[in-house]
Amino acid sequence: MNKLIERLKNGIIEENPIFVQVIGMCPTLAVTTGAKNGLGMGLATTAVLVGSNLFISLLRKIIPSKIRIPAYIVIIASLVTMVDLSLQAFIPDLHAQLGLFIPLIVVNCLILARAEAYASKNNILSSILDGLGMGLGFAIALTVLGMVRELLGAGTIFGAQIMPSSYKPALVMILAPGAFFTLGILMAILNHIKNKTVKNDMEG
Amino acid sequence: MKEIIKLGLILFIITACASAVLGFTYEITKGPIEEQVQLAKKEAMNQTLPQADTFQSIDVDLPEDSTILEVNAGYKGDNLEGFAVKVSPKGFGGAVEMMVGISKDGVIQGVRILSHAETPGLGANAENPSFSSQYEGKSGQLVVTKTAPTEDNEIQAITGATITSQAVTDGVNEVIELLNHLLDADEVTFDFN
Repeated sequence: MNKLIERLKNGIIEENPIFVQVIGMCPTLAVTTGAKNGLGMGLATTAVLVGSNLFISLLRKIIPSKIRIPAYIVIIASLVTMVDLSLQAFIPDLHAQLGLFIPLIVVNCLILARAEAYASKNNILSSILDGLGMGLGFAIALTVLGMVRELLGAGTIFGAQIMPSSYKPALVMILAPGAFFTLGILMAILNHIKNKTVKNDMEG
Repeated sequence: MKEIIKLGLILFIITACASAVLGFTYEITKGPIEEQVQLAKKEAMNQTLPQADTFQSIDVDLPEDSTILEVNAGYKGDNLEGFAVKVSPKGFGGAVEMMVGISKDGVIQGVRILSHAETPGLGANAENPSFSSQYEGKSGQLVVTKTAPTEDNEIQAITGATITSQAVTDGVNEVIELLNHLLDADEVTFDFN
């Protein structure tokens, strides 16, 4: 149980993949045009991340370190294809929503990074928990980014009208530059809060 | 030398296992996916040409650069009501596959996007009824406008996705043209069987 809390806290706050590690930027910048897209991509990535961490941890003693990267990529790509096919066949509604993002998961370096940095060195349970924590950290960050961009760029959150109709949406927030603006500002705010806490700790 | 063979062998085993699992998954999911595709197609035909109750695929000679994929004649009983045409114009992120229902007198009955790879939040909004319902009841060649439409044949573009809007409109225009071509070719009977 402690392990679970520790890994979740690590993934969501201390080593948040987006705001702290700044990895997996390609899907982050591309799909966070709305809160729903961010959440969908985040959850699909979490599912693959848990699976890939499980298999890589399971095979960590069999895979020689010299060929570990191609081996990891084969495992991750197979897993993504399986998820894609199964969703298409058995949960077509969900596939219609997430189908666009699934092929993007293969090229998300967050998954390879966790395989390399954590799953290849730790036991199965810890690796699954790590995948869960990192995945949720990724999902939360993407959803927040999506919410901010959707609110400013379209006046809605999760498709529901929030801003008064007199608000003229700033289209730039939904386009590519908006992704950089939002990410940069959110990171600055988070770092500011973090620095303040560290300072307080030192003084106290 | 010995090490290279050993590493190659291990990698071979891993990839062989992965392909076996993938092949297995493909075999299991092939049937259900095919069913889903047929179901989705039937549903799209019913939605875009609601007045027809049976559909029959017909062969049409198309020019080489045509993006029309299939033409289905829609009947109510024995009467031809119109056509449900699958067309895939080129959008911003690749082909936009869509079903266009057109009555036999050339009026668009419905447009539905089946699959696409447009930008989420921008071009992907073409799926929303608020955009695609604009085509209903239109006829003649349509043009895209960025402001609120003033003419009958104008379609308002999706904000930030003019290319996608243009693609969908191109597809619809092609279907309208196809119908004219069909009418010219076989004026009276529509007996394609």
